[in-house]
Amino acid sequence: MGESNDDIDQMFSNLLGEMDLLTQSLGVETLPPPETRTTRTEFNYTVGFKDLNESLNALEDQDLDALMADLVADISEAEQRTIQAQKASAQNPPHLAPREASHFSGAAFLGSEADAPAARISYCEDAFPPPPADPVLDLPLPPPPPEPLSQEEEEAQAKADKIKLALEKLKEAKVKKLVVKVHMNDNSTKSLMVDERQLVRDVLDNLFEKTHCDCNVDWCLYEIYPELQIERIFEDHENVVEVLSDWTRDTENKILFLEKGEKYGVFKNPQNFYLDNRGKKDSKETNEKMNAKNKESLLEESFCGTSVIVPEIEGALYLKEDGKKSWKRRYFLLRASGIYYVPKGKTKTSRDLACFIQFENVNIYYGLQCKVKYKAPTDCCFVLKHPQIQKESQYIKYLCCDDARTLSQWVTGIRIAKYGKTLYDNYQRAVAKAGLASRWTNLGTVSPAIPAQPPAGRKPSPAQPNGQVPQAAHSVSAVLSGAQKQAEMTKVRPKRGSHVAYPTVPEESKLKHSGQRDTGGK
Amino acid sequence: MAGMKTAFGDYIDSSWELRVFVGEEATENESVTLRVTGESHIGGVLLKIVEEIKRKQDWSDHAIWWEQKRQWLLQTHWTLDKYGILADARLFFGPQHRPIILRLPNRRALRLRASFSQPLFQAVAAICRLLSIRHPEELSLLRTPEKKEKKKKEKEPEEGVYDLSKVTLAGGVAPVLFRGMPAHFSDSKQTEACYHMLSRPQPPPDPLLLQRLPRPGSLLDKTQLHSRWLDSSRCLMQQGIKAGDMLWLRFKYYSFFDLDPKTDPVRLTQLYEQARWDLLLEEIDCTEEEMMVFAALQYHINKQSQSGHMGEAAGTDPGLDDLEAALNNLEVKLEGSAPTDVLDSLTTIPELKDHLRIFRPRKLTLKGYRQHWVVFKETTLSYYKSQDEAPGDPIQQLNLKGCEVVPDVNVSGQKFCIKLLVPSPEGMSEIYLRCQDEQQYAHWMAGCRLASKGRTMADRSYPSEVQAILAFLSLQRAGGGSGGSGNHTQGLDATEALNPYGLVAPRFQRKFKAKQLTPRILEAHQNVAQLSLSEAQLRFIQAWQSLPDFGLSYFVVRFKGSRKDEILGIANNRLIRIDLAVGDVVKTWRFSNMRQWNVNWDIRQVAIEFDEHINVAFGCVSASCRTVHEYIGGYIFLSTRERARGEELDEDLFLQLTGGHEAF
Repeated sequence: MGESNDDIDQMFSNLLGEMDLLTQSLGVETLPPPETRTTRTEFNYTVGFKDLNESLNALEDQDLDALMADLVADISEAEQRTIQAQKASAQNPPHLAPREASHFSGAAFLGSEADAPAARISYCEDAFPPPPADPVLDLPLPPPPPEPLSQEEEEAQAKADKIKLALEKLKEAKVKKLVVKVHMNDNSTKSLMVDERQLVRDVLDNLFEKTHCDCNVDWCLYEIYPELQIERIFEDHENVVEVLSDWTRDTENKILFLEKGEKYGVFKNPQNFYLDNRGKKDSKETNEKMNAKNKESLLEESFCGTSVIVPEIEGALYLKEDGKKSWKRRYFLLRASGIYYVPKGKTKTSRDLACFIQFENVNIYYGLQCKVKYKAPTDCCFVLKHPQIQKESQYIKYLCCDDARTLSQWVTGIRIAKYGKTLYDNYQRAVAKAGLASRWTNLGTVSPAIPAQPPAGRKPSPAQPNGQVPQAAHSVSAVLSGAQKQAEMTKVRPKRGSHVAYPTVPEESKLKHSGQRDTGGK
Repeated sequence: MAGMKTAFGDYIDSSWELRVFVGEEATENESVTLRVTGESHIGGVLLKIVEEIKRKQDWSDHAIWWEQKRQWLLQTHWTLDKYGILADARLFFGPQHRPIILRLPNRRALRLRASFSQPLFQAVAAICRLLSIRHPEELSLLRTPEKKEKKKKEKEPEEGVYDLSKVTLAGGVAPVLFRGMPAHFSDSKQTEACYHMLSRPQPPPDPLLLQRLPRPGSLLDKTQLHSRWLDSSRCLMQQGIKAGDMLWLRFKYYSFFDLDPKTDPVRLTQLYEQARWDLLLEEIDCTEEEMMVFAALQYHINKQSQSGHMGEAAGTDPGLDDLEAALNNLEVKLEGSAPTDVLDSLTTIPELKDHLRIFRPRKLTLKGYRQHWVVFKETTLSYYKSQDEAPGDPIQQLNLKGCEVVPDVNVSGQKFCIKLLVPSPEGMSEIYLRCQDEQQYAHWMAGCRLASKGRTMADRSYPSEVQAILAFLSLQRAGGGSGGSGNHTQGLDATEALNPYGLVAPRFQRKFKAKQLTPRILEAHQNVAQLSLSEAQLRFIQAWQSLPDFGLSYFVVRFKGSRKDEILGIANNRLIRIDLAVGDVVKTWRFSNMRQWNVNWDIRQVAIEFDEHINVAFGCVSASCRTVHEYIGGYIFLSTRERARGEELDEDLFLQLTGGHEAF
């Protein structure tokens, strides 16, 4: 017991040392990796950290200034949070306190005052007196209460808790951070600090604040592979650091911040994907006419049921043959379980189909200028590859469509099949964000309002203990409850109108179908 | 009062004699004769009948059935005149609720009492309340298909019929949960067993039975089923159903509202069963890859339902559930901190080190497997020439995160290989690891699987993953029939043995050998192995719903102006016109564009008007046009449901939308 307590103390002081180190290094404008490098043996991981150093060194002065400003903001925010937490701890049941506290130290581990982390840790220990019994047990116990824990058990429990606490702290300290250079529309770049818990949505929100753009739903992070000539939209729920850690050290890949209508095109005009009669003329006309009510009902039907409906997309595509520059035309079908093709001499019934690819391990990209590069029949190509593959390889699949409309249907269809309901959730969050932003602009009090708000989704919510991927939902909902209410309204309202035949069928005609009027026959 | 007489016994009022048979239809053993007038109320007549019978019995469920008019006389305040009843009317005084045998979606038979006098819609609602299935509007009853006469010699295995005919429900009150089941099931052992049958998935069917059962060979065959639906607006009696008849209970409308594993165990299970049988009997087609997932889910669900009995029964109270989970957690933590090297056990990640044979397929090499010293740490695999060189640089190092792990195992041949497709910036690299025995294989395989998902062997699921792999290996040995005598097989139930043929549609039985199917099913299983019973059932239903042909009910119709029969498919949101010969979709109409529809009952034609003056009319060939009409109206009714409205059903609206001219 005594020995392991010493161990814990040892760990705490290590932690402190590490933080000191960090704060010092901040002064010389480079961030050493937040954990000891010697333990790292896999190249894949070290890449990220080297990048961090290199990218910081490579930063231009103004970038660095901006970054510093950011970090300072982080710190002051963290301080605020500490104060809040102290208040909260007065009200909250004690067992919540250590968890929260651990966050603040994590959030501020880049802090410039060396004493700050120390203060926090001591606070943690204060808030955690030698526990009488496990507090978690106290509350929900039904009668008859269990026998009180023996002294030994209590000690064991206390020890386990302390260890857990220490581990959480370590994990916090280990949070991987990357400096990401984001290319803007106007060829300028912005550098952002992204930690490994942040999702694309968080980074977008961050960029919204920095750029004062209109925050509409089309804004996205966009990944470009100049070498492979492929690119794709990052989905809002993807983890940025995870995606970037697949890049190689010498990569030319870039991240762009721009508006792409395709990102949520399916939610704006679902009829183009769900009701398209594959090239028939009449479909195009009717599609343009679809009113908002019907669109909502179509979305509701496709995305809000027990399972998401994947649009029925099928047709002949050209497939680039492995390792060659020749293209073979085949009939492909999209199903929720993957892309299938019709083997030679077979029909397109389910039982005859052969599986071409399933989506679990691949991402979907647009292919650029495949006509020149691979002698593709058209430039409307999409590419499926494992996210880790960065060089040309026979494992990258290239498919070519006849026209841009087909391409967008396939790409969107595959995204729906791959991500399912998540895509719709992302969209609704984006709408909520955009709605809030536009309200702020309308109020005319934009500039003071924005900084006052805690940056949405940047910090893990207190409910999450050890730096796991935070769900943007929490943070967003905290800030945007108003806007979300609005979004929900829009979600609910059309529902009434959506039920088509019954409500739109006039009252008499409901009776009419009984055949009374019609009995004479025609 | 009717029956005023003179002193000589002649009747002097306008009364006449009415004969009423007592009992169910066609049992004419007992009858009473009453003296009535046209002004007598039905209520009075009922009272008189009971007086005449002079038997003490609860008559409250009895009512009069008028045979010629095929009608119940349920309006007790109506007079005989108002009903138009004369002395020649054949009336039966019988119970309104009579036993029927239901063939449930899980193919089990259940005897219960159903209302023969209410419209079927209400009768089904009452049945569903008894079975504790929410949203009864999604279900209906079908007639049993006629058995082919020539095959009657074939031995029909005696099957147990579950009995709920003695159970009655107090009206209006939501069933209370008692011991993890609705209170009315907990009366006796029999009813309890019945609830278990309803709420737990059945074991996979015998593959031989699967092959024997009729399967639709074409779209045309798939239309047959729909000719058997009973009419929702009329009662069972009116549709010629007799006491003791067998009827099928099925989900009719493929629009499942608010499916919730917590509150819907019976509904979820029965829906799963219907989906499963749909797939096994090829009512709905799927691809090979999809079938493997379905098979894996079935295997998993079966395993869960067999092992999870006790746990589920005990853990029905959500509060207790949480508590138990918390206690378990705590226990794990305490156990974990028991050894002295606490920190070690919590911080270090276990690693595997061993001699393995490795094979890397490359072009133009004939090299086979070579022995290497392999170290597996976190998610990274490194291999060295020999153990001595281990501190130095490895020959190669592979991060298995995101890799594909494929088992390549032949138990009887003692071949235990793991094929890894490891992504790297340059592409995928293929590598084979060959293990010496099952134990080694299981540990490395489990590590690879976790690593491919980015988790390490420190993950809590590692030991169970190892056990699962060992269990599979012994299954394969048992299934392969090579008479494995290892001690792993003995621990397993005979029921748990995997017969892949019971999990896939018969066409896959023809296509693959069991030995080929098993590894594929097991491979698919690793993606679902962590699901709980209800999650797995829900996943199964979702995958079923994701099939392109899901939820289509087919009818043979003749479109107005067309000379050939075509197929009309009705789904929850659209109608589709399908070429009968080719099977291609010719046209789709969505309900959202529908303005109105009419049925001309005389020429059996359904006419539908869509937006922009698109008019469609067709006559129904394979089923009555009432069924088609009811399907369309039913789906439109279902789309008006809203969460806010709760369980209340607007029955009038349903009947209005689905009923025929008799309804008015």
